Amino acid sequence: MTVARVRAAALAILLVALVAVPWALPALGATFWVNIVAEILIWSLLAASANLLFGFVGLLSFGQALFFGFGMYGVALSIEAWGFGFWPALATGVLAASAMALVTGVMAVRLTWHYFAIITVVFSLIFYFAAMSMKWLTGGDDGISFSPPSVFALGGHTLSLGDATVQYYVILAIVSACFAATALVVSSPLGLRFKAVRENDRRAALVGINVYATRLIAFVLAGALAGASGALFAFFGRYASASYMFYHVSGEAVVWAIIGGSGTILGPLFGTGLLIVFRELVSTVWEHYLLAVGAITILVVMFAPRGLAGAWNGLVAGLLDRGAEEPRRAAIPEES
Amino acid sequence: MSDAGVALSLSGVSKRFGGLVAVDGVTIDFASRRLNAIIGPNGAGKTTLFNLISGEIPADAGRMRFRDSDILGLAPHEVVRRGISRTLQIKSVFGGLTVTDNVRCAVLVHERVMAPLRPVSSFRAAAARADALIDEVGLSAHRHRLASTLSYGDVALLELALALAAEPRLLLLDEPVCGMGPQETERTVDKIREISRRVDVILIEHDMEVVFDIADFIMVMAQGAILATGAASEIAAHPKVQEAYLGSPEDD
Amino acid sequence: MSEYVFALAVNGLVWGLIIALIALGLSIIFGLLDIINVAHGDFFMLGTVGGLVVAVGTGSFWLALLVVPIVGLLLGAVIERLVIRPTLRQASLTIVTTFGLSIIVQEMVRATYGPQPRRMAAPIEGTVPVFGIDYEIYRIAAAAFAAVCLIVFFLFLNRTRLGTWIRAARHDPETATALGVPVTRVCAFTFALGTAMALLGGVIAAPITTVEFRTGVDILPFCFMAVIIGGLGNLQGTVAAAIMLAVLEGLMTSVLEPTSARILSLGFMCAVLLVRPHGLFAGATR
Repeated sequence: MTVARVRAAALAILLVALVAVPWALPALGATFWVNIVAEILIWSLLAASANLLFGFVGLLSFGQALFFGFGMYGVALSIEAWGFGFWPALATGVLAASAMALVTGVMAVRLTWHYFAIITVVFSLIFYFAAMSMKWLTGGDDGISFSPPSVFALGGHTLSLGDATVQYYVILAIVSACFAATALVVSSPLGLRFKAVRENDRRAALVGINVYATRLIAFVLAGALAGASGALFAFFGRYASASYMFYHVSGEAVVWAIIGGSGTILGPLFGTGLLIVFRELVSTVWEHYLLAVGAITILVVMFAPRGLAGAWNGLVAGLLDRGAEEPRRAAIPEES
Repeated sequence: MSDAGVALSLSGVSKRFGGLVAVDGVTIDFASRRLNAIIGPNGAGKTTLFNLISGEIPADAGRMRFRDSDILGLAPHEVVRRGISRTLQIKSVFGGLTVTDNVRCAVLVHERVMAPLRPVSSFRAAAARADALIDEVGLSAHRHRLASTLSYGDVALLELALALAAEPRLLLLDEPVCGMGPQETERTVDKIREISRRVDVILIEHDMEVVFDIADFIMVMAQGAILATGAASEIAAHPKVQEAYLGSPEDD
Repeated sequence: MSEYVFALAVNGLVWGLIIALIALGLSIIFGLLDIINVAHGDFFMLGTVGGLVVAVGTGSFWLALLVVPIVGLLLGAVIERLVIRPTLRQASLTIVTTFGLSIIVQEMVRATYGPQPRRMAAPIEGTVPVFGIDYEIYRIAAAAFAAVCLIVFFLFLNRTRLGTWIRAARHDPETATALGVPVTRVCAFTFALGTAMALLGGVIAAPITTVEFRTGVDILPFCFMAVIIGGLGNLQGTVAAAIMLAVLEGLMTSVLEPTSARILSLGFMCAVLLVRPHGLFAGATR
């Protein structure tokens, strides 16, 4: 029980800290960092998307950027073409990404192991090249910019993303909702099926799980998460660009998820936070900070494949009683 | 054709891998309310036959009737839902999950519960049934342990609980006591005997002592085909069986 | 028009042979170590950069052609020992490891060689008329050299003891170990050899491509297409697929945008993955 309490307390502290960001950081003279935290929150959803697939279902996707891109363009194009408001545009982005995940997932989840990773890269490359060449629609590398509609307009009051604080809280609310939904799904019977498929897909089929359908559901949910991430990033940057659909973006998301701790809910947030803070702190003094990012990636796989969250869970469980704890383990799918 | 006394009816079931005939026109009715066993030398096609029944590999030809429906061509999860569960020769469970989660998962799947936003622990009936299954196979003491930390014999018992969670009407056991010590073997054999009173059982086993001890009916396979069928005493005295097991030197 | 099409096909053939060499490196690494080496394209890039630096520094391209692959062999051995072997246990994460490696290689080149793309003069100047079009002699020499390297590679694999060991270890590592093949060292050598082949391909390609830290990212998908369409681990298939794809893409660019041609090839690769996951030529080797 105490483990659960420590976790609840840690979660509460995290939430309070995140809520406090828009006034605490400026009070410390670091106004610039409010947007950095917002960016971390947004990208952590893309990492969460990779993590949902790898950490919970055992499928390593190197193509989540495709759905991130669909989220971005869903927002940008629906605002540009149809003059959508904030919420309809957000919904369009998420739905476009989910629909794309369904279409590609129908084919991709037939494969597993390295073949799955490769086909996800191929899908994202196809659409990356297509988006790059369809400049009339996507603006290609330069992308398309738009001015974001207000979030709420009631009477004379409007909430606009132009206000950095409003923007931050809107992002925090949506990201928190996505993480909460992920946590619910993962602890539900459906989530248990995900883990069963991850642990042993043959046995999963033999207890009556439709492995294909389970993987497909996870793939679509992960697509929705990546779409939400891309949609928010479009609002945040006021533009959408095909360059974000490249597989390197997917690779970064995987790296964030692994470093944070795959197979945990908040691991992706920690991994993304750590690397983006690292980038912000180090890139100003050392141009070639990516060398360190590459090295950290390799070292984490080598020495701490359970990532930050895995290490934290191990620490908490080790210090307190372990009987009540649901043990966690690095999600390393078996070779099939 | 179908009658209530038949657990599973196979006719002309065949499978070849390239040039090798793994299962060659197997035609047999396994009777209900009897403990059926399949024996035969290595490579006789016993496990392949199980894989065909459970839908893991598609058969080339033949028919399989189970409870008035044709199960040939169904996917593994559909076969389970019709009421046929199986265990594997190399015992296989969800290593990274606790014993409780292993069984709860199987129970919830059987009850067709997906409920993507409700926690697993809130399904009281399923939890109770999972607990009952864990008690039944005798793993109560290990409830909270990760399945990957269990001893081999306990993994086999957990696998049995997973198979039983689907409330099968036919249970296929692939070498249930393979790799077990004498005590574990005894415990498992008792369990199988007990289960066979309410569930039809077909088992593959190499341990002849076990087979002749518990089986009511034995089917002997060699080179993919049925060599002989009959009660234990008939099989033991069957000249062809003795030849298959003792006669030719390349058989193991 | 028809000469133009023919020149595109020849160009495709030249690139196909070079890419076959690089893709073979990727394929032997996959076949033996079961890892997807995302950094393989960057090893090619390292070859182009190394080729240019050595050729400019010493004034001899031919020296570069000799030295850079040897450096690649050593580099591959070091990387295998330091990075690949310790992470092989996390088999599904090797893609992540090599992704980290890819970041490091690119950033190292950017830090030392610089971010700006450069071009390199061909070591053999002049053109020859090929079906009515003036074609650079070096490109033909590069194709011929790549073809010779391919032949040498297959001779090595089929005629030498080390090559036999590699084939045995690929086929069945446990039996190979039992028969006394030092599988760990064979794996290390295979990784080094695959790396060296990527660098060799890089040196050969240096005079006919832009030389910068990003070229690996462009060539990697093409190598993967060759490996997948040829069949993961099917070496002859890889070579055939590389040549076929490059020629087809070359021909397609006569009527399509290059990106459209690339999209079509990627779509073809998808179809192969889904319908014939063991490659277009499956059954030929196993």
